[in-house]
Amino acid sequence: MIRVASVVWLLAGASMLSASPASAQSASPAESRFELGFGGLWMGTESLGSKTATETTGSGAATPLFNSSSELGSAFGVDGRIGVRVLRSLVAEAEASYLKPQLRIATSADTEGAAPVTATETVEQFTIGGNAVWYLLGGHRSPRFAPFFMAGAGYLRQLHEPGTLVAAGSFYQVGGGVDLLLASSRRFHTKGVGARVDVRALIRSKGIAFDGGSTTSPAAGVSAFVRF
Amino acid sequence: MKRPVALLATAALMLGQSAPAFAYLKFGTSVRGQQVTLKWAQTPVRYFVSDSGVPGVTSSDLQNAVGRAFATWTAVPTASITYQLAGVTSASPGADDGASVLGFRSRPDLDRVLAQTSFLVDSSTGALVESDIFFNSIFPWSVAAAGEAGRYDLESIALHEIGHFSGLGHSALGETELISGGGRRVLSAEAVMFPIAYPSGSIAARTLKADDIAGISDLYPDGDFTTADGSLSGSVTKDGQPLFGAHVVAFNPATGSMVASFTLNAQGQFSIGGLSPGPHVVRVEPIDDAEVDSFFNGSQKVDIDFRVMFFDRVVVVPKGGDSGAIAVAVVRK
Repeated sequence: MIRVASVVWLLAGASMLSASPASAQSASPAESRFELGFGGLWMGTESLGSKTATETTGSGAATPLFNSSSELGSAFGVDGRIGVRVLRSLVAEAEASYLKPQLRIATSADTEGAAPVTATETVEQFTIGGNAVWYLLGGHRSPRFAPFFMAGAGYLRQLHEPGTLVAAGSFYQVGGGVDLLLASSRRFHTKGVGARVDVRALIRSKGIAFDGGSTTSPAAGVSAFVRF
Repeated sequence: MKRPVALLATAALMLGQSAPAFAYLKFGTSVRGQQVTLKWAQTPVRYFVSDSGVPGVTSSDLQNAVGRAFATWTAVPTASITYQLAGVTSASPGADDGASVLGFRSRPDLDRVLAQTSFLVDSSTGALVESDIFFNSIFPWSVAAAGEAGRYDLESIALHEIGHFSGLGHSALGETELISGGGRRVLSAEAVMFPIAYPSGSIAARTLKADDIAGISDLYPDGDFTTADGSLSGSVTKDGQPLFGAHVVAFNPATGSMVASFTLNAQGQFSIGGLSPGPHVVRVEPIDDAEVDSFFNGSQKVDIDFRVMFFDRVVVVPKGGDSGAIAVAVVRK
């Protein structure tokens, strides 16, 4: 969380240094009504914890047979969103993403000498949710370079291979980034196109969760957007 | 009604007895050429308790100890089998009288057998008609709540035998070491139905494990067991050939529980039921922690010449269904 906030403030600082005076250009977040975005999303590795296979001795104590350690590996996927400006600095977004991370379960320390193995499976992960995006500096001071904070939540659906079992849950995310306006235009009802870069802390509840708790992983996105 | 006696199993102590099971965890019998799972057709299953005790254990103690063991099996929430004490009897266990009797018998000839279960089977249906359990009175017994050094815990051994009484075979989830003079000593086990008992004084086997619960629930499913749980199946080969008698363990990395089965036919196929839906790790090992004939009859050639190994894919058990067949190739030692 601290790391995410630091990145955002660095981005905010950069925006102030490069800010041009407020202009009449119409593609700033404050002056466009809608925004469509599509791009790529990277999700970092999530640890799912470890569990030891044990057997019971005559005294009732547990003795290990082997160890297991599980994680959901990092993955790249696609991400799309639609935003609606609700206040000068605030945009409400609906967002959906699709990734295919790998579930990895590593076994080790087998008392009967089995070689360590990392068993794998590819998981399909879908999310749909909403974000509140708050543009710093009122969203209109720099139409070309607009830093923002974001926070959101949504529904998560993970599908085990080969489509045999669904694990549903929810996710929460906080982060920030910057919108970079690349071109302004009033053709075809658009007001501009640009690119977004963001970083997030992704907190997942349920879904594929071996210890029943939540997991946290970093995530980052790069996308192109069109404003209307 | 023809009711031929079929002595199918079993025992617990250093050496297991012959148990001609055709399917893991479940006994089978042949009815008109078809293999049928051995189980009670109706519940509650009525049983009698012998009116004779042994030093340190009265008939009343026996009745209470086996009552607790029956209650432990009855308490499995996903199994429907129940039992009912029909009374105290002077009859000995082992008589083919239509009454299921539990009691002590002196069997010095079975000097490594703590207890044994026998069955009377309806040959037209394969249903159990009678099952008797005797506890070998040549051994010292105890019903002390915390166990008693030098004496075998009656409740623990009764729990194992009642598993057989209900139709369960042996589990291979356990580790042993050979001891001088023959036999094996249990180092650890993760199933009450492991064929070799803990040393005297232990009460560790009074609690059912995941493997036992899956087995009894598979035999007598209750509630939504068949729709809420799933199974994992596949085959094991060595040098490209099907392997018979491999012990296949499904490990749940979320709960740490283990449920196991064996490859049981000429195609080297196995199926493990009663698993919680979700990802599992599969471990395959030879049966080298108990005598092979604790699990299979002598006519079946069991291959134990291969290394313990893990399957390199996560196997997902669906809710109310099967994982789909996996193929595991093991290598010789």
